[in-house]
This record gives sequence, C-alpha cells and structure tokens, in this order.
Amino acid sequence: MKTKTQKSKMWLLMFVGMPLINFAQEAQVNEPSCFSNTLFNTLLAIIVILVIVIVGMANAVKNVSQSEYFQDKIKKAKAGNSGSAKIGAVALFMFSALMANAQEAPVAVEANDWLIGGLDMFTFYFMLGIILLELFFIFGLYYALKGMLVAAEAEKSAEAALKKVKPVEKTIFDKLNAAVEVEREQEIMLDHDYDGIKELDNDLPPWWKYGFYLTIVVAVFYLIHYHISGTGDLQEAEYNMEVAKAKAEVEAYMKTAASNVDETTVKMLDGASDLESGKQVYQANCAACHGKLGEGGVGPNFADEYWIHGGSIQDIFKTVKYGFADKGMKAWKEDLSPMQIAQVTSFIRTLKGTNPPNGKAPQGDLYKEDGTPAAGDSTTVVTDSLKVVVPVDSLAKASAVVKK
Amino acid sequence: MELEKFRYDNKIVKMFAYATILWSLVGMLAGLLAALQLVLPALNFDLPYTSFGRVRPIHTNAIIFAFVGNGIFMGVYYSMQRLLKARMFSDMLSKIHFWGWQLIIVLAALTLVLGYTTGKEYAELEWPIDILITLVWVVFGWNMFGTILRRRERHLYVAIWFYIATFVTVAMLHIVNSIEIPVSLTKSYSWYAGVQDALVQWWYGHNAVAFFLTTPYLGLMYYFLPKAANRPVFSYRLSIIHFWALIFIYIWAGPHHLLYTATPDWAQSLGVVFSIMLLAPSWGGMINGLLTLRGAWDRVRDSVVLKFLVVAVTAYGMATFEGPMLSLKNVNAISHFTDWTIAHVHVGALGWNGFLTFGILYWLIPRLFQTKLYSDKLANMHFWIGTLGIVVYAVPLYWAGFMQSSMWKDFTPEGQLKWQFMDTVTKMMPFYIARAIGGTLYLIGAIVMTYNLIKTVKIGNFLEVEEAEAPALSGEYHSHSKDHWHRWIERKPVQLMVLSLIVVAIGGIIEFVPAFLVKSNIPTISSVKPYTPLELEGRDIYVREGCYVCHSQMIRPFRSETARYGEYSKAGEFVYDHPFQWGSKRTGPDLARIGGKYPDSWHYNHMLDPTSMSPNSIMPPYSWLLDDDLNTSLLRGKIKAMKTLGVPYPEGYEDKAIDDLNKQAEEITTNLKKDGIETASSKEIIALIAYLQRMGKDIKAENKEVANK
Repeated sequence: MKTKTQKSKMWLLMFVGMPLINFAQEAQVNEPSCFSNTLFNTLLAIIVILVIVIVGMANAVKNVSQSEYFQDKIKKAKAGNSGSAKIGAVALFMFSALMANAQEAPVAVEANDWLIGGLDMFTFYFMLGIILLELFFIFGLYYALKGMLVAAEAEKSAEAALKKVKPVEKTIFDKLNAAVEVEREQEIMLDHDYDGIKELDNDLPPWWKYGFYLTIVVAVFYLIHYHISGTGDLQEAEYNMEVAKAKAEVEAYMKTAASNVDETTVKMLDGASDLESGKQVYQANCAACHGKLGEGGVGPNFADEYWIHGGSIQDIFKTVKYGFADKGMKAWKEDLSPMQIAQVTSFIRTLKGTNPPNGKAPQGDLYKEDGTPAAGDSTTVVTDSLKVVVPVDSLAKASAVVKK
Repeated sequence: MELEKFRYDNKIVKMFAYATILWSLVGMLAGLLAALQLVLPALNFDLPYTSFGRVRPIHTNAIIFAFVGNGIFMGVYYSMQRLLKARMFSDMLSKIHFWGWQLIIVLAALTLVLGYTTGKEYAELEWPIDILITLVWVVFGWNMFGTILRRRERHLYVAIWFYIATFVTVAMLHIVNSIEIPVSLTKSYSWYAGVQDALVQWWYGHNAVAFFLTTPYLGLMYYFLPKAANRPVFSYRLSIIHFWALIFIYIWAGPHHLLYTATPDWAQSLGVVFSIMLLAPSWGGMINGLLTLRGAWDRVRDSVVLKFLVVAVTAYGMATFEGPMLSLKNVNAISHFTDWTIAHVHVGALGWNGFLTFGILYWLIPRLFQTKLYSDKLANMHFWIGTLGIVVYAVPLYWAGFMQSSMWKDFTPEGQLKWQFMDTVTKMMPFYIARAIGGTLYLIGAIVMTYNLIKTVKIGNFLEVEEAEAPALSGEYHSHSKDHWHRWIERKPVQLMVLSLIVVAIGGIIEFVPAFLVKSNIPTISSVKPYTPLELEGRDIYVREGCYVCHSQMIRPFRSETARYGEYSKAGEFVYDHPFQWGSKRTGPDLARIGGKYPDSWHYNHMLDPTSMSPNSIMPPYSWLLDDDLNTSLLRGKIKAMKTLGVPYPEGYEDKAIDDLNKQAEEITTNLKKDGIETASSKEIIALIAYLQRMGKDIKAENKEVANK
C-alpha cells in the first residue's frame, strides 16, 4: 500500500509541474521572455516552494485523517470518506487551474506601460494573488492539522488519564522523521536477519523525501532556464557582461580620479614619496630580471644611456604598460595602476649613471635628454662594439649562476 | 533442515587489516611531507624523487588505493562471509588478491618516485600496472561472486549491494579511463585528448570518490555500525531508494570538476543539476546510519568504536552537503583551484574514510584475537587527537581558499589587479603551517592506534578457525505474498550486478557520446598546430615532473583571469593534448598562456632557482633538468603513437623528427647565449623551455591572422 501512495505523490508532482513546463516553452516563443526577469523568477520560485509545502501539508492531513483514531471517529460519525484528503486534492486542482490561466496571462497583456520591477502589472498582481492564495491554503491546512491533532491529543490524554497508562511520547526527532518510536519498533521489525542484523520498516523521513523531490524540480528548472528557454546566461555571455560592466566602472572612476595618467600625459615625478613608491614597485616586480640596482640580467641594464624602446619618460611608461612580448617584456597594465607605472618609470630614470657593479652590456640606442637619438649610434653598431669591451663581467656572473 | 558446518577465513581479514594500518602510516607521512614542502621548499631536497610534483601523487595514491583500498578489502572479506554464511570462495584467490594488491602498491610507489606517470590525477599509474590492477580486480570479483553463489543466506543484505555496485563500476571506470597507447614499458599517451580527455578523466576522478571512497564504505557502515551498536537498521526502504538513486546519479556529476572551463556548457549544466540531486541520496546513507543509533546514543559515550563511527558518518554528511554546494557555478567560481577543495576532500578522507576505518579496526582486531582492546584510554586519546587534527587541518584551509580566491579576483578602482600572484602565495603560509600541524596531530593519532593494536594482538590469541553453521539453501524459494517487491532482486545476484552496471553506465554514455561525436562541442581552431618534436619531449618532462599538481592550464572566462593570464581557454586549443593538463589546483599561477611571456633565460634561471626570478616562490628547484641530457630514443615511437591517435604529422615524419628537434634546440641554446647562459642544446631544460614558450601561443597567431585580414 505504501508504494502505491508514493506513486500517487510522484504523479501529483508531475501534474503540478507540467503546466509550468508548458509555460516555460510558451515563454520561449513570446519575446522578450519573462524568465529573464528576476522578479518573475523569484515569484515563480516562491509559488513552486509553496506548492510543495501545500502538498506536504495536505499529505500530513491525509495521514492524520487516516490514522486509527480518526478512522474510528469517522466510522462513528458514519461518514465513509476522509474529507481532509479531499481538501488537499481540491486545493491542488484549483492551483493547477490557476497555473493554466497563468499561461495565458503574458499573452493577454502585451504593450503595457505599467511596469513593476520589469513585470507588467497584471502578471505581477496575478502572481502575487497566487502566492496569497497559497498562503491562505497553507494557513487553512495548518489550522486543520492543528485542530485534528489537538482534538486527538485531548481525547487521548483524557483516555490515558482514565486508564492511568502513560502514553509513549514521540520525540521531536521521531516526529520529524516520521519514525516509529524505539519502544514500538517490534511492530515494524522485518523478518530479515543477516548475521544478527535486523532491519526496521520505517517510512522515509518526509523532509528527506520532499527535499529529494525539490532538488529534482530545481534540476528541471535549471536545465529549462539555461538550455531550453535560453533565458539564463551561459559562461560566455556572463563573461562579456562582467567585462563590459567593469569597463564602464573603471571609465567612470578614471573621469574623477586624479591619478589618471597615460603615455601622452606622463611627467617625471621628482617627489621623494613618488620615487620611494616607484622603488618599491621596482623591487617587487622588476628587480628579478633587471637587477636590484638596475644593472640588468635577464632584462637590459637601466643604469646606462642605451634604450631598446626609447628612453624618454613617455617611452619607458609605454614599454612598462604594454610590454614587448616577443622580447620577453611582459605588459604590466593589468597589474600596475597608471600612477604606479608613472612612479616606477620615474624611479627607473633616476638610475641613469649610477654605474652599479656587474652591469650588463648596453643594448639599443643611445638616448640623449633632448629626446632625439644621437646620430650614428645605431642599435647594431652600439651593441656589437660594446659587447667586446664589457661582456666578461656579466657573462662570468651568468655562467657562475648556471654552473652552480 | 540440515545444518552445514563451515569455517570463516579470518586469516585473510587479518592480512588486509595489517596492510591497512601499514599503508595508512605511509600515506599520511607522504601527505605530511607534501604539506611541509609548501612551507619549507628546502624539503624538496633538490632531488627529482622527492619533489612535490611526485610526492603529492604518491600521497593521494597511497591514501586512496593503499590505505582505503586495503580497508575496503578487510571489511568486505570479514562482513561478506558472515552476511552470506559462507567461507570465501577460494583461499587461493584471496591470497592472489592480497599479494597482487600489495604488489600494485609497491610498483605504484616505485614508478611514481621515478617519474613514470600518465599525468591523469588519481590514475597516474602507467599501463602495465593498469593491466595488473584490472587482473587483480577481476580476481576480487571472481572470489566475491563465487562466494555469493555458494551462499547460505537467500537474500543479499544492503552492504552486499554496495559491494557489487563497487565492483562493476570501478571496473568500468578504470578500464575506460585507462585506455592509452603504449610507447614503451613505462610511457604511454592517453587515447583521449583535451576536452574529451578531461570529461573522461573527471568522470573517472569523481566516481573514484563515489565508488572507491563512498559506496564500499557505505557497505561497511551498513555492516559494522548496526553490529557495533547492536541496533536494527533504521529503514529498509530508505536503503533501497538511496542505494539505487546514489549509484545512478553519482555517475553524471563528474563535469562539476570542469565548471567554467572549455567543456561544453550542456555538460557543465548536467554536472551541476546531478550534483544538486545527489544531495538527498548521499544523505540517505547518513540518515540511515545515524538513525540506526536511536536508542543507543547513551552507549556512544562509552564506546570508542561508536564514537569513531558517528564522527565518520557525520563527516560524510558534511562532505556530501558541501559537494553539491561546491558544484553550484557561483560557488565553484570562488572555490575552484584553491585550497578550499583540499579542505573539502580531507573532511571526506580524514573524517569519513579514516575514522570509519579506525572504528572498524578497533572493533575487529579484538574480535579476531579473542580479547579486549589493550587500552580504551589510548583509543579515546586517538579519537580526540584525530578529531582535533581534522578541525585544525580543515578550518584554516577553508579560510585560506576563500582568501586566495578573493585576492585573485580583487581589482583596484583603476581597473588593475590588486595582487600579484606571489602575494597570494605568501599570504597562504600561516594557513599551510596550521594545516601541517593538523595533519601531524592526525598522524600521531594513527601511530597511537598502531601501538594500541599491536599490544592487543600481543595479548590476544588469533582465532584462525572460526566455526559456523547454517542450513544450505533449498533449490526452490516460495516468496511470501507480503514481501517487498525489491526482495526479488535481492535473491538474484547476477541480475543485481547487471542492473547496477546498466544504471551506472547510463550517465557516462549520455555525457560522452555527444562530446565525442558532435563536432560543434569542440570547435576547431585552424591556427592550432601539433607540437614540434622538441615541444612534445618538453611536454613529457612537464608531465613527468607533475607540474599539473600545482599549475593549471585553463584560463576561465572571468575578468580577473583574462586580466592576469590572457584570453580565456578555448576547447579547440587542446585537441593535440594527450593527456590534457588542465590541473585542478593553483598553488602556482596558470600556465595556459605562459608562452612568450618571459625570455628563455628567465625560464632557465627559474628552473635552477625559482626564487631568483620570483622572490618568495615556494616552487621546488629543478636543477637536474639543467644537468640531464634529453633522452630522444623514444621520439620515433612517440611521433608514431601520436599519429595513431590522429595528430596530423606529415607522412614519414617520425624519421625527420629528430632533425627538427635538434634544430629547435640549437635556436633556444643560441637565444640563451645572448643572455649570457652557456648550455648544451642536448639538455632536458631546452625541451621544457620549448614547451613552455609554445603554450597558448597558437591562438595568438590566429588573432594576428584575423587582424591582418
């Protein structure tokens, strides 16, 4: 008998679920879909959850009414059927009828200017109405259940007082799990015996069972939302939105920010605090390749007067910001703010002529303060000619590292 | 009815119990070493055999397959004989199973230390060992079914259903995921590539958790918990529903390890929804366990066995609640690649598997040796120190993971990343120290247990011959009319096995077939070309050194990742990746687009001493790559294998490959020379640099093509 009731519950669930799925499919045709509306989704979720609550409570009322106590009562009253189960069925019927109506709602009201949270007024109030109606049912069922239990309790305790027998009190946990009390477990002991292990025939804990149903409903809606109605944003759309939003935010900020510098506006920052900040940025990010003192290493020397990509403050700023990936210089614009780049660029400019030990051979063109490369000092000539003079030191250091 | 006399085989149980204890200590020690290496990189000892990339797979394999594996067999061999009222089918098969499994473990440890790995997480072992595992697993199944068919108990208890599902599913997972093409005895390439390899691998990886760490242990719980508590199982109906729902749903959830990656959206969504639906079936096991203790809670206070079992089942509940939560895409966007995942799996491993095993050992050893436990006090101490260890391990790592992720995603108002990757690494140190302390506590607990059990064995007297009797099954069974419908299949072990196989096969088939056959799932990118011979050799070094253990190769479509690493990864970029190397953890930064980011000399210096190029780095040095010559003797075979797998090298390329390799090696050597580094072009480092400089560049080439048009 138990399996039969389970089956009918599943069936009820499908019965409630079907109109919603139909709805979703129709919504797909009607553009723009209401599934993209947060308010609509929220309301829909509330409606679904309340339906589940109602089904659960109706079930509880049914179970109570089918308990021995009430069956006796009913027999006594010579009313042959269980009324409360009917209440549940009626409630469900009414609800699904409402849902069927809801399917037509968005079609009926189209170009409506009265919007609430992006929903037209009719849909909004209609859904609100459904929720209120559901709450009404829930209260009804709650009081029905309470009334039945109180009546039963009162009568039972009166009986108990009369018989002077202490009734077995169900613990809150047993109630929650619909479990038969430990004291009465012999009644549901199965005739299984595996190496002394016995099994009870307790019902499934209702919260577990309805929780399981709920996850299935959620799963169905999830798939509809993302893959059938196409209303959910998949990862590519999500990404594009994230980037666009961030871009707008940064632009808005930069309009007001004082630190907004770029390669055309950057100026040498001579302030001690700026140079100190620049030094910190340098030690954290640049020193590994260009040397702690700017003597060079994996990357070129900063203490000489030769620059591969130009030595003006603007040029260095640009090199730091965008990098030269093919030469192994990373772009730093995602890691350092424009202000930080200006600071580190200024700091790098202060290194000129410091003549640190183990300086790497110059690379690139000679750069003069007026901004024009000195005539005749072309790249290849400079590097080649100087390589002969300086390299011993730096090469010796590098190979010392290598052969460690 | 005539009673038949028979004897239970306790010796095999004892052997597996000893192996469980031994490997638990070995596995935990390896874990502790790995944990300490993250704090003190010097503990990598500058040796290939002890570097983190090899130690970590040894730890995971030792814990999963050696410790838990032997734990499973110990419990199964003890409980199955009693639940079926029969001795194991064949003592010889039992012995082959035991020694075969120990041989696999030893071979696994040796090969992993030597760097022979397939590079697929939790399936690192090379093909000859894979075959050995298959054979030993068949022996286990044969022995199990032989026993089942000779049983004296008509119906199969729920524990046995779980054992059967474990057997068939693990066989399926292992075989499908291990299909690889051998190049030599110690080198093979996964049959699958890129996205497909990822789907198969995580279908396997996720269900190794399900069917190696979960279902067999649920089976053990269903035997040892009611036994220890002396209480009837709470609900037979719950057992039925949660068993079938669990094995059916679990299989589908694999893609939740690949959220926001280049796997198709529909596969990700299936991973999400099946993970959500998995919550209740998982909890079914916990509820049935905990509610079985109704009326026995007062005894939990006094019984150390029950204490271990209760914490184990509770940890199972926590881990299986957290699992579905981590599978929600918005949560996964935070947790994935961080230490959060490490905390999550350790709640499962230390709490569920560890404590259940300890509980069983404390219950079993005194029974096998017909005595009382040597010291309840020590066992209680183990319980408390172990519990404390779990908390001290997990809580800091949850915190660490969350913090790490927040730092990765942090932007300044100007739109720059707020933190360098290295900042997030140095911030982890206090948490890593706390984790190592937690692990140490847990290990101390296990050592105390070992001492306690050795003492128990010493004072006890081993019950080698345990007599039992039961009536033989009569040929015909007349069912009672009021029997539950499920009783039918409980009488039919073969049907039960076949049905389980069908149930577990469905999810995999539905997820794989479209991913393999529908082309739109992996859109081709014309600029993506096969690796050059030198890059291929370099990639094999990357796999050998276990770089994937700490570095991902998967840039997810988040602003914080594209800003840090470049364009997010596309499915078409991985079509020649046998195996895929997406990784699952970012102890170091993502490497998917490392190519061209730094000069060759940077990589050279970085491998020699990571802190020279990247101060505060906790990466181990790889100095042997600078000294060792690249072994190109397999190159021909490798190119041929790749061609068999469909990589479009030109006709006869296997003969020319070596020339191309030498040419490219010369170029890199010359390049290094420009930065003052003198090295021979024959060294392994050259190949590794070639591979690193290639990574993620193909798609940049395409962008240039588009721009030029």
